[in-house]
Amino acid sequence: MSDWSQSIDSLNNGQAASRAEGIAEGVSEGDLVRRRDFLTLLASSFAALGLTSCDVRSPRQTIIPWRDQPEHTLSGLPTWYSSTCRACPASCGVLVKNREGRPIKLEGNPDHPISRGGLCARGQASVLDLYDSERLKTPLAKGEATDFAQLDAAVIGALRSIRDRGESIRIVTSGDDGPAARRAIEIFQAAFPDTRVVEHHPLATRAIARAHGATQGTARIPSYRFNKAELVVSFDADFLGTWISPVGFTRDWADARDPELNGGKMARLVSLDPRMSLTGANADFRVALKPSAVGATLLHLLVHVGRKLGKREVESIAGRLPAIPIPDAVDDEILGGLAEELVAARGRSLVIAGSESAADQIIINIINEWLGSYGATIDLARPVWEEADDLDSLDTPDALETLIADIESAGTQAGSGAQAESDDNRAVPGAVIFLGANPVYNHPRGAELRRALEKVPLKIALCDRLDETAALADWICPTPHALESWDIARPRRGTYSIVQPTIAPLFGSRPAVTSLTTWAGKPTEAYKLVRRVWRDEVFERQSQFDRFEKFWVECLQKGAFEIEDATPDASFTRPPLAGLVELAVVESVLAQNENGNRAEGDLEFLAYPSIALGDGSQANNPWLQELPDPISKITWGNVGAISPATARELGLEEGRVVEIRAEADTGLGPVRMPIHIQPGMAEGVLATALGYGRTHAGRIAANYPIERVFGIDKAEPGGADVYPLLGVGSVSVTPTNGFDEPARTQLYDHQTEPFTGEDRNPAREMSFADFIKQGRENGHGDAGGNSEHGGQSETDKHLKHGAHAAEPTLWSEHDYPGHKWTMAIDLNRCTGCAACVVACQAENNIPVVGKAEVRKKRDMHWMRIDRYYSGSPEAPEAEPDVAFEPMLCQQCDHAPCETVCPVLATVHSSEGLNMQVYNRCVGTRYCANNCQYKVRRFNWFDYAHEDLVQNFVLNPDVTVRSRGVMEKCTFCVQRLNAGKRDAASDGRPVADADVRPACAQSCPAAAIVLGDANDPQSAVSRALENPRAYSVLEPLGTRPSVRYLARIRKEDATS
Amino acid sequence: MNPSATQALRPPLVDTPRTASQITDDICRPVEAMPTASWYVGFFASVTALCIGAVLVTHEIATGIGTWGLNSTVGWAWDITNFVFWVGIGHAGTLISAILFLFRQKWRTAVNRSAEAMTIFAVMCAGIFPLIHMGRPWLAFWMFPYPNTRGPLWINFRSPLVWDVFAISTYLTVSACFWYIGLLPDLATVRDRARNRVRKFIYGIMSFGWDGSGRTWIRYEMLYLLLAGLATPLVVSVHTVVSFDFATALVPGWHSTIFPPYFVAGAIFSGFAMVLTLMIIARRVMRFENYVTLRHLDAMCKITLVTSLIVALAYAHEAFFAWYSGNNYESFLAINRMRGPFAPEYLVMVTCNVLIPQLLWSKRVRTSPLIIFFISIAINIGMWLERFVIIVISLHRDFLPSSWADYSPTYVEVGTLLGSFGLFFTCFFLFCRVLPMIAIAEVKSVAATPGSGEVASATIIDATPGEGEKP
Repeated sequence: MSDWSQSIDSLNNGQAASRAEGIAEGVSEGDLVRRRDFLTLLASSFAALGLTSCDVRSPRQTIIPWRDQPEHTLSGLPTWYSSTCRACPASCGVLVKNREGRPIKLEGNPDHPISRGGLCARGQASVLDLYDSERLKTPLAKGEATDFAQLDAAVIGALRSIRDRGESIRIVTSGDDGPAARRAIEIFQAAFPDTRVVEHHPLATRAIARAHGATQGTARIPSYRFNKAELVVSFDADFLGTWISPVGFTRDWADARDPELNGGKMARLVSLDPRMSLTGANADFRVALKPSAVGATLLHLLVHVGRKLGKREVESIAGRLPAIPIPDAVDDEILGGLAEELVAARGRSLVIAGSESAADQIIINIINEWLGSYGATIDLARPVWEEADDLDSLDTPDALETLIADIESAGTQAGSGAQAESDDNRAVPGAVIFLGANPVYNHPRGAELRRALEKVPLKIALCDRLDETAALADWICPTPHALESWDIARPRRGTYSIVQPTIAPLFGSRPAVTSLTTWAGKPTEAYKLVRRVWRDEVFERQSQFDRFEKFWVECLQKGAFEIEDATPDASFTRPPLAGLVELAVVESVLAQNENGNRAEGDLEFLAYPSIALGDGSQANNPWLQELPDPISKITWGNVGAISPATARELGLEEGRVVEIRAEADTGLGPVRMPIHIQPGMAEGVLATALGYGRTHAGRIAANYPIERVFGIDKAEPGGADVYPLLGVGSVSVTPTNGFDEPARTQLYDHQTEPFTGEDRNPAREMSFADFIKQGRENGHGDAGGNSEHGGQSETDKHLKHGAHAAEPTLWSEHDYPGHKWTMAIDLNRCTGCAACVVACQAENNIPVVGKAEVRKKRDMHWMRIDRYYSGSPEAPEAEPDVAFEPMLCQQCDHAPCETVCPVLATVHSSEGLNMQVYNRCVGTRYCANNCQYKVRRFNWFDYAHEDLVQNFVLNPDVTVRSRGVMEKCTFCVQRLNAGKRDAASDGRPVADADVRPACAQSCPAAAIVLGDANDPQSAVSRALENPRAYSVLEPLGTRPSVRYLARIRKEDATS
Repeated sequence: MNPSATQALRPPLVDTPRTASQITDDICRPVEAMPTASWYVGFFASVTALCIGAVLVTHEIATGIGTWGLNSTVGWAWDITNFVFWVGIGHAGTLISAILFLFRQKWRTAVNRSAEAMTIFAVMCAGIFPLIHMGRPWLAFWMFPYPNTRGPLWINFRSPLVWDVFAISTYLTVSACFWYIGLLPDLATVRDRARNRVRKFIYGIMSFGWDGSGRTWIRYEMLYLLLAGLATPLVVSVHTVVSFDFATALVPGWHSTIFPPYFVAGAIFSGFAMVLTLMIIARRVMRFENYVTLRHLDAMCKITLVTSLIVALAYAHEAFFAWYSGNNYESFLAINRMRGPFAPEYLVMVTCNVLIPQLLWSKRVRTSPLIIFFISIAINIGMWLERFVIIVISLHRDFLPSSWADYSPTYVEVGTLLGSFGLFFTCFFLFCRVLPMIAIAEVKSVAATPGSGEVASATIIDATPGEGEKP
C-alpha cells in the first residue's frame, strides 16, 4: 500500500495533478506555477489559498531518483492486466488499466471468449465500486470494529459449539460463485459436515434450467448462439439488455445483423414483450404483450409451428385451445406468419423467453426442438449454469424460502417441543453465513427473512459493505472488490476466466475463501486456493501445456482459458413430449391466464433489472445512478412505467407519485414511486426497475444530496425498493398528492417536429428491401457497399484524403497532412446499450451532477445516446419504433464553435479535431449555443471531488475541469496521442488498433470505428464508402468528421 | 410629493418666456437645493435594488453560473437579454445628441443631457452582463488583445464577442466624452454660483477651468460638432455589432441578414421609450414642464412610432422568410415562437412593440404624458421580451430534437436584472442631484427672453423634425 500512497497525496490536490500535466505538455514550470497561482488567487479566498497551494518544484539541492522503482509502475505509462468482471454472473473479460499503481479503467478484453472486447455499462462502472468509501474498513463484531484474529477466534468457537450441538450451518451464496469459492465451501463442509449451501439468485433464470430438465433430461441453462440465428423471436428475454450474458449476445447479434459481414443477409428480430425493453426497442417487429398473455401466446404459437411441421402430437394440445383464447395483442395472422417464418428459418432460428414460468420455458423448448435449434443456435453442451441435482419436479421451492421455513419451523420446534423433524433436511440451522449474498434486500421475502434471522444464534456476513443483510449479522468480514482479489469465474462449462487483483486491498478486507478455510481450520490464501483449483480443474483437463507454471502465466496474460471439447455433446436423453408435460403446461398456462383476469383498476405488475443498476448491488455507484436508462432516459431512481392509454384510463400524469399495493398483502405497506408514461408498454401493465431504494448501500444509493440551499442539503430518496413485489401478479395503484418529476436527460422524444409534422430524421433508417435495391442499383448485388455513389453519400468524398466535396463554402479548406481522425458509427449494429456513455465518463473524468442538476438538463455526458420514437407529439404511437443514435462531438471541419470563441479556447488541430483548451476557456458558452449537435457541456459548478477515495479513479491523462469551463468529446485525444507515441516508438505506421477511443473500445456491438481517413486501408475509410453512410445535419455545411451508417429494418422475413 | 399640490403652489410655466438668469436658476435648483422627499424615496429604492443585485451577483460569481436557470441547450438567457436590452436603451442618447444635433433639431436641447446620461448609465449596466455571464469572469481581461507572455495566444478576431468588446468600449468612451464636453459650460455655471468653497473646488476641477471666453466657446462648439460627427456612426455600429452576435451564428432564428437594421431600429425604439419614461417622470418631479414641453414629447412619440413600424416590419419579414426560404428549421422556429412553450412571451412582445404603439398615431395620445408613460413602459417590456424571444426561443429548440429543453429563470437572474435597474436609477438619481439635467447654455440659445419680441413659444422650440432653425 505504501508504494502508491505517495501518489494519493499528490492526487489529493487537484492542482498538483494538473500542474504536472501542464509540465508534461512542455510549458515551462516557472511560468505555469505563477499563472496557476494567480488564477487561484483570483478564484478563491485567501484562506482557501493557504490551504490549497503547495509547491510542486524539486528542492534546490541535487536529488537522486529511486534506484529500485517498483516494477509495472512506470510513471506516466499505463500497465494492463487481464481479469474478469464480477459485476454480474456473465463474467466478461476485462483489461484493467493501471496508472501509478491504481486501476483507473476497465476495458473489454478482445481475447475473451465470452465478451470479445465489449464491456457493458455496469462492468465499466465497477471500477468505481473499488473506490467506494462506504465499503467496510474493518471487520465488525456486533457493530463494533474488531480485527480478524479476534473475529476468527470467536467465530471458530461459535461454529464448533453449533456443530457439537448438532445444529446445521447454512451458507447463502449469490449463485455465481466460481470454482474457487466452491472449493472453499467444500473445505468448510469437511470441517463442519452439516453445512448446506443455499443458492440465492436475485435475478434467477432458473425456469430455463428446470424446463430443460423436463424436456431435455438435463437441468441447465444452455449457451445461445445469436450469431448463428437468422430469426430470433423473443418473449421478453432482454438479451441485449440484461438477460444472461448481454455483452456476448450483443456482439453475436450485431454480427448477425450486419449485412456486409453476411453477404447481404441480415438476421431479423421479433420481440413480444410487456415493456419497452432494449431488445424490444431493437426489434424489427414488436408486439406489446402482457406477462399474463405469454403462456397462451406461446401455446398458440406451438400449435401453429407444430401443424406447419406436421407434428401429430400437437393436436392433443390444439384440442384444448378453445379454453385458452388468443390474447388481444396478437392474432392468428401474426402467430401464423411468425410460425411460417420460424419454420422457413428452421435450424437458423431461435425462440427465447425471459419468463420465470417453467411451463412457458417448456413450450419454448419444444418449439426450439421441433425447429432444430438445439445444436444449431442453442448449445446445451456448454451450459452457462447447471442445477447441482437434476430436478425431477418443476415446482422446486425457492432455496431461500426453504431456509426461511427451516428457521421458522426450528422456532416452533423449540417453542412447542413437539413434532420432531423426520426429514434431516430440516435440521435446526444454528448458523447462517451470507457469502456475498444480500437476500434481505434482494429477495421478495426479505422482510420475513429479517424476522426469521432473529431466531438464528449465529449470523455471519462476508460482504463488502454494511448492506441490508449484513446489518443483521453478528460478525461481518469485509471482502475485497474483484480488482483486489484472486478468484475464478466459470461463465459456462469449459470456460474458465481468471480474476486477478491489480491493487492491494484498499481497506481491511480478506477474501471470503480465506475466511471460510480459516474457520475450517485450514487457512488458505486466495492465491494458493485459486492456483490449486486452476491446476485441478483446468490444467489437468487440457493438453496444450505440460508445465503448470507456463500454463498459469499464459492464462493470467490472456485472462481466460477454454477447454477444448470439455464434454462431448449432450450425453443426456431427450424425453419425448410426454403427456404429463403437456398437461402440466396447459394447466399452468390456464392458471396464468386466470391471473390476467384482474380486478377493475388493478394493473399487472412486472419488475425487471434495469440496465443501469441490474440487481441493485451497484446501487451506490454514482456513474450508474446517473446513467440514463436507454429507453426512458431517466436517471436517479426508478419509476412506474405505464402505457399512455393506461395513464389516460387511470387519470395519471407523468411524475405523479402513486402508491402501489400488491393484491396479495405483503404486509409491508405500499411502495411509492412516480409514474412514467412509456410508449410501447402493454396496456394494463405497470413495470418498474429493481435495484433501487436501498437503505444500506451507502449515501448515494439511499438518497443523494441534490441541492444545497443555504448550506442545507436537500435530499431525495433514490427510488423505491420493489423486490417485495417481485413475482406479484397484479397490483392496485392509488394516486397521491405527491409529484416527483423524473430526472430525464432527453425531454423531447420524436424526430418529428411538433406543429409542422416535419421529419428532421437525424437517425436514419431504411428498410431491408430498400437496402437490397440500393445495393443492386449500385451494381453490387450483394449490397456489400464498395459503391461510388450511395444514395446518401454524395458528399462523403470530402472526408477522404482532404479532398472536399463540390459543396461551396466560404471557409478556406484545412490541410490535414498527417492523420485525419474520422469516426463511423453503424446504427445497424448499435443497440443503444449505453456502455459507451460510462466508458466515456470513466476515461474522461466526467463529473456526476446529481438528480436536481439532471432535471435542469445539465448532465455532463460527452457521449450521449439520442433515442427517438416514431410518430409525433400530436400523433404519438402507442407502440412506436425506436431509433438510437450515439451523439458526441462531430469534430466538424468547419466548426461553428471555433469561430465564435473570443479567446481561441477551441481550435482546430492539424488532425481534424476540435480541441478544447480548458485553461484558456473563460466560459462565454457561445460555442455551445452555436453547436448544432449540442454536445458541449459546461461546468455550471465545481462538481464534487471531495471524496478523496473516489478521486483515485481519475484518469491522470485528462484534466479535471473547474467550474466555468466548457468541455466536450475530443475523440479521446489522449488515447490518440498515446497510440501515435506507441506506434512511433515501435517504428511502424499508426494502425486502427492504436487509436481506439473509450467508446469504441468497449462497445459490445463493435458499432463504433475510429481511424485515419487519410489511410485508405483503415477500417473507417472503408466504412465511409458504405452507401448507408451519412452525416447528421449535413446540409449545414460544417463537414462533421462523424459518419453514421443508416439502420436497416427488416420489416418482413422475405428478401 | 403630491404633484397637484405642486401645481397649486407653483403653476406650471409651460411656454412662458423666461429670462436667462431665470433659466439658470430653474435648472440649477435641483443641484443646489436640498433633495426633495421624492428624490430620497427614489434614490433609496434604487440603492436597495442595486444592493440586492450586488449580493446576488457576488453569490453567482462565488458559486457558479449554475445559480442561474441555464442548461446545456439554453446557454444564454436573461444575461444576454439584459445586455442587449441595456445596449438598446443606450441608443437614444447618442441619436438625440449626435444625429439630431447634426440635423439641427433644436428641440433636442431640452432632453439631450438626460438622454446622454441615460446612455452612459445604460451602457454601464449593459457592460456588466457580458462580464458576469462568463464562467470565469476573473479572466475577462483575456478578451482584450494585450501583449502577453503566453506565447502566440491572442484573441479570436473572428468572434463577434470580440467585436462586441470593441464596439461597446468605443461607444462608452465616445458617449462619455461627448456628454462630458457638453457638460463643461454648465459645470462652470454651477461652479460660479457655488457659495461654499468645497463645492466651488470640486466643480472647478470638473469644469476644467472653463472661462467662458469667446475663444473657449468657439473651440467648444467645434469640439462638440466633431464629437457629434464621430458619435454618429456609432449609433449604427454598436447595435449592428451586437446583432452580429446572433446573425453570424448558425442557430435558426439568429442566422439572419436582417438583424443589423432590425436591431438598430429596435434599439432606437427602446431608447426613445426609455427617454420618454424618464423625462415624463423628471419633468414632473423636477418641475421642468416648461423646458420639456408637450411638443418635445410629441416629437419623441413620432420617432417612437416610426421605429415601431420598422420593428413590426422586421417581425413580419422574419415570419415571411421563414416560409419563403423553404428552410424547415426556420419555419419551425417561426411556428414555435407563436405556438411553442414561450408563445405567451412572443404574443406579449408583439402586443407591446407593434400594437400598443399604434395609439401614437393620435395627436391626443401624443400629448398626454400619462398615456405616453404607460405606452413607454409597455415598449420597454416588449423590447426586453424581444431579446428574450430571439435568444431563448431560438436556442431552446434548435436542430436536434433530442437536445430540446426548457428554460426558467432563478431568483438570482431576476435579482440581477433588478440590480441592473437599481444601478441605472441610482446613477440617474445621482446625476439629477449633482449635474444640471438640461443643457443650460444650449437651452438659453433657443429660449425666448422677455422683451426680445420672440414671444410665441412655438417658434422658440420647433418640435417638428426636419424643420430646424438656422443657428
